[in-house]
Amino acid sequence: MRVYIARRLLLAVPTLLGITAITFVIIQLAPGSPAAMAVRLGGEGVRSDAIAQEIVEQTKKLYGLDKPIPVQYVLWLKRLVTFDFGTSYKDQRNVLEKIAERLPVSLQLSLTSIFLVYLIAIPIGVYSSTHQHSLSDNVITVSLFILYSLPNFWVATLFIMFLGGGDFLNVFPIYGLVSDNYAQLTFWAKVGDRLWHLVLPITCLTYGGLASISRFGRVGMLEAIRQDYVRTARAKGLSEKVVIFKHAFRNSIIPIVTLLATLLPAMLGGSVIIESIFSIPGMGQLAFESILSRDYPVIMGITTISALLTLIGILLADVCYALVDPRISLE
Amino acid sequence: MSSSRNFSRVIVLGVAIVLLILPVLGCRREADDRQGQRPVPATTPGEPVDGDWLIRRMPAEPQTLNPITARDMYERVVNEYVYESLLDRNKETLEIEPQLAESYTISDDHLEYTFTLRRDVRFHDGTPLTAHDIAFSFDRIKDPLVDAAHLRNYYRDVESVEVLDDYNLRFTCTEPYWLALEAIGGIPAIPKHVFEEGDFNKHANNRAPVGSGAYKFVAWETGREIVLERNDRYWGTRGHLDRIIFKLVLDDTAALQLFKRGEIGAMGLTPEQWVRQTGGAEFDRRARRLTYDQLAYYYIGWNMRRPFFSDKMVRRALTHLVNREGMLENLRYGFGKIVTGGFYINGPVYDHSIEPWRHEPAEAERLLSEAGWIDHDGDGIRDKDGVPFRFEFLITPRATFAEQLATILKEDLKGVGIEMDIRQLEWATFEQQVDDRKFDAVAMAWSLPVEGDPYQLWHSSQAEKGSNYVGFINAEADEIIEKGRREFDAEKRRAMYRRLHAIQHEEQPYTFLFCPEALVVVDRRFENVRAYQSQLALEPLEWYVPTARQKYGRENDAP
Repeated sequence: MRVYIARRLLLAVPTLLGITAITFVIIQLAPGSPAAMAVRLGGEGVRSDAIAQEIVEQTKKLYGLDKPIPVQYVLWLKRLVTFDFGTSYKDQRNVLEKIAERLPVSLQLSLTSIFLVYLIAIPIGVYSSTHQHSLSDNVITVSLFILYSLPNFWVATLFIMFLGGGDFLNVFPIYGLVSDNYAQLTFWAKVGDRLWHLVLPITCLTYGGLASISRFGRVGMLEAIRQDYVRTARAKGLSEKVVIFKHAFRNSIIPIVTLLATLLPAMLGGSVIIESIFSIPGMGQLAFESILSRDYPVIMGITTISALLTLIGILLADVCYALVDPRISLE
Repeated sequence: MSSSRNFSRVIVLGVAIVLLILPVLGCRREADDRQGQRPVPATTPGEPVDGDWLIRRMPAEPQTLNPITARDMYERVVNEYVYESLLDRNKETLEIEPQLAESYTISDDHLEYTFTLRRDVRFHDGTPLTAHDIAFSFDRIKDPLVDAAHLRNYYRDVESVEVLDDYNLRFTCTEPYWLALEAIGGIPAIPKHVFEEGDFNKHANNRAPVGSGAYKFVAWETGREIVLERNDRYWGTRGHLDRIIFKLVLDDTAALQLFKRGEIGAMGLTPEQWVRQTGGAEFDRRARRLTYDQLAYYYIGWNMRRPFFSDKMVRRALTHLVNREGMLENLRYGFGKIVTGGFYINGPVYDHSIEPWRHEPAEAERLLSEAGWIDHDGDGIRDKDGVPFRFEFLITPRATFAEQLATILKEDLKGVGIEMDIRQLEWATFEQQVDDRKFDAVAMAWSLPVEGDPYQLWHSSQAEKGSNYVGFINAEADEIIEKGRREFDAEKRRAMYRRLHAIQHEEQPYTFLFCPEALVVVDRRFENVRAYQSQLALEPLEWYVPTARQKYGRENDAP
């Protein structure tokens, strides 16, 4: 096992190099240049009228974009070794600092919603597999798919309109993650305040994920239930509860373990839409804006970190396989 | 991003920046009563009192609060109260008047500008503001290592600055240019003693500005808010509000909800929100509505290098096909004014005697046929010399207005035998295509100064690489533009530019669409509120809240 992990970690190095090299080249090849954008004032949709070529060139030099791409990449790698992702073109702040500021915000949202998705979806999956083709199974399936198909920006806007004060009910806060008077609150009041703010965004992030995970759970269980060992367990006269939860369920979650690999980078990802609607300064916005403004250092920083997390996630999933399923050996 | 985050917000984003150099003017106007809302009751007479906070919505966050490296308008909105410059424009009289300067003289050859500073100005940290600070600010703009490319463009002719003594300094220009005074007068004064140490681009005080203005910086919580507090030792007229807070709310719907909940005191609205989501007596009891014409215009630019757009009769025919009245009414609920040229509609140059070309499809067809664009081969599309009249219309993403405009235009053009394809490109890519002149027609907007120099947009020298990307080349226009740069008599210059306006109307290098109207709501507890006809149209320095209505900042009253 140890040898396996070591080998996989070694393999991750060239993989990571490949991912970063390709990203580096692609973003540079994409049309639009940060230097030209810097010279122009204004924002999207509007151009100011002054452009001077020599000033564009100066700016390129300032951003280090005057060198050939391979040279730029090597320089970037060199700095990466010391964990220096450079500074953003937009505000000249350190990239890691920018990510560190937003990551905890996104983690709060993503960890909670992922946890809730699993907590709700897996029991639903088990339930509908043990009640296959029953009316309740069908009702659950249909309702989950209806939820799945509701776009979350629409639901979020409805929440804001109808539960966020103004002309209708004033039940939930709709701005940010804490109240303005957060600093003056006692510890428990702070926790309460934060949770209260999380209700709407978390709901929007969660309901759509229920369908797929519960389907995974259901299919896994259906397969496990038909296995010989389950029949044997029943034949032994074990109670239905023990059969389902001890024998079938544990074996049914193996496919779900695969999904673990995608979890880590998803946590980092954030959601542009939900973050924008609820004014939550998270990773989604940062990534989205940096791509639109061709902020190469920030794009590279986020890509590298999420590539790293994806690789770790895949490795963890493989190791977990070996742990939950004795038939798989990593030796 | 919400879909209502469209063209109009986008304009607001770009507009103010040009004004870094060309501060704002405009005339006063009360809100009009378009939707049949009750008229604004007269403000309660009374002495202005200090107290309360103004919470303003910001739809995007500034990248930095360093006025020299900043490129977005939100920096300007915040720093308006923090940093000052030598000169400023009076919002009421529209005249340039001294701010940090006590007086100034201009040499007869218009190359030397000598300023004498006020002696009673101090930065928020208590240090006196001197000529050395102004010179330092100017040198940073000129420093190629400073990330201020966008500003350097405007100071190419301003060669150097010389500090004569602590309160006197002289700028020298290489060429006489009527806008040089505004450029020099607009240099934001940053404190030398704070910014001289360390890397200017990454300076810690880029996020904690130290200025000399009426409000001083308190805190910036990234992604949430920027807080300013009244500078009680301000040399000029003090504000009444204790604090001005800029609250970042990205989503339009959420922002309006927050306004309705009373958590925001002032914000801009989309035309749709103004008409549909703010009805009812309850809303009008709480909110004051204000409108003003933005310093910008929308237009369709025709690439005059293309065979179909090289003929001015064809361009005029296209303008006859664009139903501007209808679009304004249907897409923007009538909030805007049709323009006929590239000058600000309320500015001193704009010629109101020029009538816009009417929406006349029959006249358009006649002009097209006359120009030789006839459907020779009977395929339903007009052609000339074997070239079919088929072109691509570029629009930017998230620009709901441009999308709708394009769709309507496509149908209208189809009716007269012109085929138009719509292509939507992400902004950076869009810009690249325009810079490379790889486009047929585009829908865009320009931000404007109240009175500016048409050189960058309309001079033939800018057709190759500059902002005259439609390729407008006209000998008379060139002459006017070149002479205008050296004409220091404002009235003479304006008369020359009015001729340029007429040429633009005649030639139709653009189909000029309209000047958008900005819509603003302000909580009624604020008194002495008015909208100026300018970019930073609200002036909270004048506002106050009668003691009985004050909401924030009284003891133990958390926000």
